[in-house]
Amino acid sequence: MTEPAYPLWGAPPESALLASRDRATGELVFPTLPDASPLSGAHETVPVATVGEVYSFTVIHPSAKSGESPYALGYVDLPGPVRIFGRLVGSARPAIGQRYAAQADERFGYVFTAVDTAA
Amino acid sequence: MQDIHILGGAMTRFGRHPGVLAPELAQQAILKAIDDAGVAKADIQAVYCANVLGGMILGQLVVRDLCFQGIPVYNVENACASGATGVHLARHALLAQQYDTVLVFGIEQLTALGGGTIPLQRNDHKTELYAKAGMVLPAVYAMRGTRFLHERQAKREDLAAIAVKNRHNGALNEYAQQRSETTIEEVLASRTIADPLTLLQCCPSQVDGAAAVVLSTRPGKAAKPVKVLSSVVVSGIREEARDDILDAEITARAARQAYEQAGVGPADVDVVELHDAFTIAELLYYEALQLCSRGDAVALLKSGATQLGGRVPVNPSGGLLAKGHPLGATGVAQMVEVMWHLQERAGARQVPGARIGLTQCTGGGIAGVDHAASSVHLLGV
Repeated sequence: MTEPAYPLWGAPPESALLASRDRATGELVFPTLPDASPLSGAHETVPVATVGEVYSFTVIHPSAKSGESPYALGYVDLPGPVRIFGRLVGSARPAIGQRYAAQADERFGYVFTAVDTAA
Repeated sequence: MQDIHILGGAMTRFGRHPGVLAPELAQQAILKAIDDAGVAKADIQAVYCANVLGGMILGQLVVRDLCFQGIPVYNVENACASGATGVHLARHALLAQQYDTVLVFGIEQLTALGGGTIPLQRNDHKTELYAKAGMVLPAVYAMRGTRFLHERQAKREDLAAIAVKNRHNGALNEYAQQRSETTIEEVLASRTIADPLTLLQCCPSQVDGAAAVVLSTRPGKAAKPVKVLSSVVVSGIREEARDDILDAEITARAARQAYEQAGVGPADVDVVELHDAFTIAELLYYEALQLCSRGDAVALLKSGATQLGGRVPVNPSGGLLAKGHPLGATGVAQMVEVMWHLQERAGARQVPGARIGLTQCTGGGIAGVDHAASSVHLLGV
């Protein structure tokens, strides 16, 4: 993945997804605003808590000829508050309210992985 | 305020038109609309072309051979709300007395895209990031569907019932692409696109179509002149972290403004053409348009009120689910359909005694908003 114009992840060791926090209102914006944005001056970059709950999801079924397997997408509600959309991995089928954690990903930048996977 | 009238309108069949380019298709609708309006070509003083994916100056390309003598041509794009936005802007010009008679048409050729879902507007970090993860419009609606089933304890059959209703209506509509009925079982058994939405719960994508209306400050010669009672366009408010995705807020806002502007309420509406791009959308819009209270969408559907023959038929044309959704044409086609009902010209689909109709369409394709654009119109005789 090419280097994005804005930081997606904070530096190790406490790597976390980053958001832009409006200094005046406290509202969080994801992904972070790039430096080029005239709005960035009114925001500060803050880490987002790693674990949140699924607010809603869907399972995409790619067409047979694509050869791709079904995959889950969803909104994860994280403390902040902030709601982030992304791939949901690590569970056969997500459920609303299930806990997922942000994880770095080579292809997408980040995915959410199920925290409480059934045995 | 000056009354604004729809003097006439027309649409092409929505579907595949092999070998027909956008200009020819649009011209078919335009010439029929001008004839229906009982005006001469020379009476048209400006042209509004609603289109999303057809490229620059499409309006001028369409009208070049119609020889309108260099009148202003405006190209309007608001995603799926383009057609209604075109009518909205035309109305402004008529109210300002810049013109007395104008043409608005919508045209789209989705078959030129080769199938698949409508592309998002990716010139944006957030939309690009989400699109890369897999965000497509069916996924956005599907997540509303998942949440709806969860919060309302609704069943998948309730979603499928919307498709059954609208496909029944489409079977009565010679302009619809899908002209056959379907069943709950067939809808649920069709291929899953984005769970819980199956193929027959998504509006068809291989469809071309055009629709046109002539608007005027004059009532024209029709026995029942159709008036634009109100016209509203709004844009999306940036989503907040704990938004309720079952609250179609942009449409609710547009509808409140439209009712207020027209001085009518939802109980006064006799017929509705709304944006059923996916089955879940129609259920959410029942509530956003105040056809029922919050939480009562499934009850309204089950009561039969929104079927043909019910208290407030919704999508008598078959909606986007049966007609298909040629993006730029949809908003104008909804108004043509409502016009037909108000003038008792809707044939087998006729809603008897219809006097006030509502049209609604929404445009999406960027992340971070409910939708980017929503437009609601109230028409009346």
